[in-house]
Amino acid sequence: MKRHSRLFQLFAYTFLSLFAIINIVPLFWMVVNSFKKEQEYAADPFSFPKALQFSNYAKAWEVANMDVYFLNSIIITFASLIITVLLGALAAYFLSRFKFKLRGTTYSLFLLGMLVPIHATLIPIFLIMQKLHLLDTYWSLILPYTAFHLSLTIFILEGFMRSFPKDLEESGVVDGAGVYRIFWSIILPITRPALATVIILNFIYNWNEYLFALVLITSTELKTLPLGLSNFAGIETASLTLQMAALTIALIPILIFYLLLQKQLVNGMTAGAVKG
Amino acid sequence: MQTLKGTRLAIFLGLFPALLIYLGIAIVPIGLSLYFSFTNWDGISAMKFIGFDNFVKILSDDTFWLTVKNNLIIMVTGLIGQIPLGLVLALLLNRGLKGSGFFRTVGFMPVVISSVMVSLIWGMVYNTEYGMLNNLLGMIGLDSWKMNWLGDTRTSMLAISIAYIWQNCGLYMVIFLAALQNIPDEVNEAAELDGATGLKRTWRITIPMIKGTIMVNVVYSISNSFRVFDLIQILTGGGPAHQTEVMTLYMYNSAFLNMRYGYGSAVSILILLFSLIVITFVNRINREKDA
Repeated sequence: MKRHSRLFQLFAYTFLSLFAIINIVPLFWMVVNSFKKEQEYAADPFSFPKALQFSNYAKAWEVANMDVYFLNSIIITFASLIITVLLGALAAYFLSRFKFKLRGTTYSLFLLGMLVPIHATLIPIFLIMQKLHLLDTYWSLILPYTAFHLSLTIFILEGFMRSFPKDLEESGVVDGAGVYRIFWSIILPITRPALATVIILNFIYNWNEYLFALVLITSTELKTLPLGLSNFAGIETASLTLQMAALTIALIPILIFYLLLQKQLVNGMTAGAVKG
Repeated sequence: MQTLKGTRLAIFLGLFPALLIYLGIAIVPIGLSLYFSFTNWDGISAMKFIGFDNFVKILSDDTFWLTVKNNLIIMVTGLIGQIPLGLVLALLLNRGLKGSGFFRTVGFMPVVISSVMVSLIWGMVYNTEYGMLNNLLGMIGLDSWKMNWLGDTRTSMLAISIAYIWQNCGLYMVIFLAALQNIPDEVNEAAELDGATGLKRTWRITIPMIKGTIMVNVVYSISNSFRVFDLIQILTGGGPAHQTEVMTLYMYNSAFLNMRYGYGSAVSILILLFSLIVITFVNRINREKDA
């Protein structure tokens, strides 16, 4: 189809390769050095390790409490994700398949949330959590994560559910099924592709979140991975190889996740950005 | 559509939990922020209503204006760094070159990694003694170029800006790419028949076709620049001596380090106001250009 001149190709590949190198090298450099002894790294940060120091990993896992942070991140991420997607799907179902007064207003109200900057709510949320005695608990993160991602979740799911033909629920109505039964056994199963998108988006946003965790969580046993890592780096300033090992441990799962679900992630985050 | 009996209750029950959490945690706090911004409160003693005092104090604080300046630097970095770079990358990737998929994957990767991890990695790159950058400079004989990148006020904002571009330009790249792929083939074919090729076609036809997307990205990049926090909090903590502090960090410090909740809330309202003003301004310019 398209033919490109040699000169264009040379320019394009040089530019793209340079860009790719700049994107990969910091990560690659970190992973390579995470296998070195500290002295070996200090002597030459660009050599390959003489022997692979897996002890860095064992030590980082221990010292940085990685197991605790991973577990907290998993619990908080998935709890928020499940609540957001369930409540969001339910709301999207009523907003898309029913006519009622205030339908439009409710929908617009939900969409407004995509414009709300987190920092403008941070102080009140901190004080609310304090009042409710939820400060420094899982709930202090689960509630904001849910609240702030309901908008995008409802936006995506409502748009998808709206596209179903109008007579879809009729068989259910004929069978005498209630509205919730229809939601659960007719609507939800065919919403699966959109559900996958919102689940992936909620996962990545919750997993990476830092600011709320910084403000609302103080005890080490409750810290999430981003918060724990940043604290660890602040303490272990002397041992960069240890930091690198800890970061690599946190990096690997997210890279695998990205490579496996790249298409949905890219499409979802692009949609989220453009609509937000 | 549905006219089942008892549906109204079902609708209410279905929407209520989502609305409760959403309004209570995402919307009501904005009102509260506005309310707190007119008070003096440390969270313990009684809240005191003080009118516009917080705003007067903030606007006469030199440190605040320093953070405004730094926010502008970040904003400009986004506009002249991320967006043109994202656009050029998207234009190149849209040409059906071999290996485009690989470059797209690598380009979007930093967007998926948490900003905490991005910040910590760049902290290691910029580390004075053991960092990648200084060692690289030493290796190619440019020892005199070695710097304390994050600690020296001459380079600290530049260093942060580069990490900021690195972190986000992949997002703009894929948004542009999606827009480019939506241009119908006929447009390109017609352009080719008219003899418009290469750069000329890109400039005269492709760019105008995705003008809407460019505007979306500009607005998005501006509103993101006002939200930047993680990167700077972790890389420099706003230092040395507030030289890299941004408004969100100033707010965080006032509220959570100095326990001045009223003052901090006033800062957060100002951030909201500033970003609204800039975005309205950009939209206005854009509309006038169209008219």
